[in-house]
Amino acid sequence: MASKSLKNLTAPLSGNNPVIVQILGICSALAVTVQLKPAIVMGLSVMVVTAFSNLVMSILRKGVPSRIRIIVQLVVIAALVILVDQVLKAFVYDVSKQLSVYVGLIITNCIVMGRVEAFALQNKPWDSFLDGLGNGAGYGMILVIIAFFRELLGSGKLFGFEIIPAEWYINNGGVYANCGLMLFPPMALIIVGCIIWVHRSFKKDLQEK
Amino acid sequence: MKVNTNSNVYIIIYSVVMVVIVAVLLAFAALALKPRQDANELNEKKTQIVKALGYDAEKVSYDEVVAEAALLNADGAVVNGDVAKVFAALQDVKSSCEAGEFPIFKATDGSVVVPLYGAGLWGPIWGYIALEPDMNTVKGIVLDHKGETPGLGAEIATPKHQAMYVGKTVFDGEELKGIILKKGGADANNPHEVDAITGGTKTSDGVSAMIKDCLKSYEPYFKASKATANEVSNELNTENNGK
Repeated sequence: MASKSLKNLTAPLSGNNPVIVQILGICSALAVTVQLKPAIVMGLSVMVVTAFSNLVMSILRKGVPSRIRIIVQLVVIAALVILVDQVLKAFVYDVSKQLSVYVGLIITNCIVMGRVEAFALQNKPWDSFLDGLGNGAGYGMILVIIAFFRELLGSGKLFGFEIIPAEWYINNGGVYANCGLMLFPPMALIIVGCIIWVHRSFKKDLQEK
Repeated sequence: MKVNTNSNVYIIIYSVVMVVIVAVLLAFAALALKPRQDANELNEKKTQIVKALGYDAEKVSYDEVVAEAALLNADGAVVNGDVAKVFAALQDVKSSCEAGEFPIFKATDGSVVVPLYGAGLWGPIWGYIALEPDMNTVKGIVLDHKGETPGLGAEIATPKHQAMYVGKTVFDGEELKGIILKKGGADANNPHEVDAITGGTKTSDGVSAMIKDCLKSYEPYFKASKATANEVSNELNTENNGK
């Protein structure tokens, strides 16, 4: 794999992260991060969809009429999402139930269309595929970080297992209480803000003058 | 020949071809995967019924614990005992119940399972409730939802929440009370109350309403069964007294 192609895969993980640098896909990052498990499955599903929509659109890019390209993109993305949903329902029914409406929500995820429009239409299929994979992974990574804090501090659990010892809780004579605010979307936005802050304090070139 | 990709003719042909290809692809995928999806759904329903009866669905199969499945009419009489028909009705419990056909499952130990359907905060909620042979005590419950908030309303689907219902009673004498999810914590002395979910009040209210509304349709059947059960025990008593 050429190093230039590899860069398409790794850049979106940090320096060009879709959530914390491009500020895309915030809405779903707030909705699905109450617990770790749906966040991970959502991240994986988005990876599949961004990778393959980038691939398909990159192959089609020379023939797509530019006046209706957004519509073509939407059709491709929607078809892929429905396909993913159908396959999940047929082969991993439990996971599909866990995700419920979120799979359908991938269609509305700005990252998918953003990458198709900004990258796939100007680049070769293989580079586009890697770019989609990388952006999906970058999105999933941020989701997992947010979900980690929200599930741990909001319900005292990780992956549904109790992490905070039961005797620490006020009800049982301890001094600890779960932070109810963590369970609500506004707190996820504040966590996203904190991640951006930490990230930019390490990456000085991203700071605006 | 260089094709002008922005001419109207090209755009129209392009969109028609694209839509037809996508439609064929999706239709093919849907048809090819349908049998597997249906099998998954049927299996899921059977598993939920077994779970509602309080068994470990991985160890006990549906056929081992459920003796018969039937559709009841509004008076509580059996109108159809065909298992396939009953599961067909479960596909859409709401329309089936509105059409006056109420699915019911009788377990080998005399307890019964009935389906529940209702509305949560964001979308439909549903489940199964199992009652002991006295048609009053809750043997177990399974609740599920389409899109309640994870960590809040979605907690109704956790075993921890569902365990609270076991042993509660749905009748107060002759009056149907259902199970009420009480905000701020249930009164330990009230056999019809369980704790509501913190931050999930609307979903909790939905569950309370669902249990009461759905059980109401089966009230004639429950009362008839109770009467028979009493007669049987009376007869037994008389026999015992005679001896």
